[in-house]
Amino acid sequence: MKLRNTILASTALVGLAGAAAAQEEIYIINCGTDAEPQVPVQQEAIEAWEAENPDYTVNLEFVAWGQCQEKATTLASAGNPPAIALMGSRVLMQLADAGLIRPFDMTEEELSSYEDSVLQTVQFDGQVWGLPRAFSTKALYYNKALFEEAGLDPESPPETFEELVSASQAITENTDARGFGMVAASFDATMHDWLNFVYSNGGTILGPDGEVTFDTPEVIEALQLYADLVPYSEDGPIAYDRGKLEPLFREGQVAMYISGGWGRQRTGDVDYGLALIPHGPSGENGTLLITDSLVVFEGSGVEEAATDLALALTSTEAQSAFDIAGAWTPIRQTQDTDALIEEDPTWEPFITSIPTGGPEPLMLDYVAMQDAIIEAIQGVILGEVTAEEAAAEAQEQLEELAEE
Amino acid sequence: MTRKFDPFPYLLLVPALILTLVIVAWPLFETFRLSFTDASMRPTYDYVGFENFVEIFQDDFGEVIGRTLYWMTLSVVLKLAMGTIGAVLLNAAIPGRALFRILVMPPWIVPIAIGAFMWGWLYNGQFGMISGVAQRLGILAGPFEFLAYGDSAFYATIVTDVWVGTPLVALYLLAAMQSISTEMYEAAWTDGASRFYRFRRITLPLIAPSIATMALLSAIWTFNSFDIIWILTEGGPRGATTTMIIDTYKVAISRFRYGEGAARAVMILVCMSIFAGCYLALLRGISKRAQA
Repeated sequence: MKLRNTILASTALVGLAGAAAAQEEIYIINCGTDAEPQVPVQQEAIEAWEAENPDYTVNLEFVAWGQCQEKATTLASAGNPPAIALMGSRVLMQLADAGLIRPFDMTEEELSSYEDSVLQTVQFDGQVWGLPRAFSTKALYYNKALFEEAGLDPESPPETFEELVSASQAITENTDARGFGMVAASFDATMHDWLNFVYSNGGTILGPDGEVTFDTPEVIEALQLYADLVPYSEDGPIAYDRGKLEPLFREGQVAMYISGGWGRQRTGDVDYGLALIPHGPSGENGTLLITDSLVVFEGSGVEEAATDLALALTSTEAQSAFDIAGAWTPIRQTQDTDALIEEDPTWEPFITSIPTGGPEPLMLDYVAMQDAIIEAIQGVILGEVTAEEAAAEAQEQLEELAEE
Repeated sequence: MTRKFDPFPYLLLVPALILTLVIVAWPLFETFRLSFTDASMRPTYDYVGFENFVEIFQDDFGEVIGRTLYWMTLSVVLKLAMGTIGAVLLNAAIPGRALFRILVMPPWIVPIAIGAFMWGWLYNGQFGMISGVAQRLGILAGPFEFLAYGDSAFYATIVTDVWVGTPLVALYLLAAMQSISTEMYEAAWTDGASRFYRFRRITLPLIAPSIATMALLSAIWTFNSFDIIWILTEGGPRGATTTMIIDTYKVAISRFRYGEGAARAVMILVCMSIFAGCYLALLRGISKRAQA
């Protein structure tokens, strides 16, 4: 009897092991840590998908932001890709060009659930290459006390380029603080912050057919804005990335700066207000739309299932729960979004500017493009070139990159 | 009588040979091979002959080479000058000398990344100590951001590199000074030679081979210095601190242009080979003089 039980138990164990072995693994590289508040929501969605797809098991690996994209790309280049990875949408074109990722075949209904401007961050060559997962927009933070001290109305933040410059001047001349906190270090945030003003002036870096549109009046006006703001910004803005600017705002040393929704938790005791990005003479208030997306790699052997899982994780309901849990700017405009604004009105400028926002320009050699744009911005700030000269130089460099 | 061939000593060399082939020769060969390709993120690539080398000289790489050599030369000269002064001071017969010898080591012991971050804050105009002290002393009228302007950023990165590299030079030269016989100093002192005369005619000639050796080794390390510049400026503003190693990293790793990056790496290898050749020639010269 004892022997029979042992044999039965062994057989059952072998059977279970066989079943487990038959399960195929979907390996996901997830940027960040498992301590983030949206992780349990994502885990719940994964478990629900696994329950519906018992042939697959999901192996989720958390990798720090600094290394995760490089890890996924290196694995894919070496022919051993993850099934899914969270990538900055800026690299999608390069990954697609290298044949490392596959596009998503989406229905009209699925496509129309996104704002066009959000979809543009992941769409090119008529196809969608990533599913937006984490989303950020920007707004103008301003210190109400410093506005009052400078004789400005703290309930009327600047709405135009002109008002931004004059408010910055008034604060610099009438208080101990500088008017505008400018990010201009050799880091991506420099291009990102400045693009907010380009989009708020009706400008673009690339036209609809991928042609370079840098040397245009709208872009030159955005460059000129920075030249005009330099005297009223912190000394040496080229030494500042956003991280270094936050303490200046928190300590009342600069009265205004641009940041995302996360900035609301980093203002210290400052009585601050939030406003849309001031618009230029040629446009209306916009913002830069940055997304990180889930991409499905070619060559994992489980591409179809991975695509299905990615679509499930980013479905309207699952994504909305994910956004709210993680305090991300909501990717889709749903009833949840309206409720969010009602509950916390500080969300409003981050959400209302989405339709007029623009994506990060997608170019094959994204880093070289970013370097060329940052050099143009820094040249104007240092006074080494005029806005017109900087635009002409950058136009030439970007055209060369676009030809490659 | 012929000596019988004994394979055993050669067998002992095999593990070292395999290790050298795997970790040195093979990557080196791959770098050379990649430098003649258009390898990128794509799974396949083509051979493009010398195209990558032609292209890098059509870019501003010549300017980058010049900047690198200037950055390296200035940094090495300063390290040697300060290292020599430091070694002389540490060699002086003063109370608490051992403590001073320990105190010079932290810049060298602290991880470079931490040291560079610390200097980043020191250079900050609003919160940094350097700008603050300069304002108090009346040297600066207002806050000054050292990393915000091309020239000041360039020299700021050199200062940090000198801070990191000087202790090693000082300790190395101190060891060389301590190997000089005290009798020579005593004889010179008896003859009425001044302190400076003794340094110029005894110390300096006898530690000259050590200075030359350290100069070449320091040149190699400084040429390859990456962390300090990357953490402080990422090669900016407007490329003012972009050295060959920074440029190569940007092209190969940030832009995934492995072929072009490999061509730049080959150029670095050529420069390093020149330094290494000088170093070996110097060692040979020192060895010959010692035997004579």
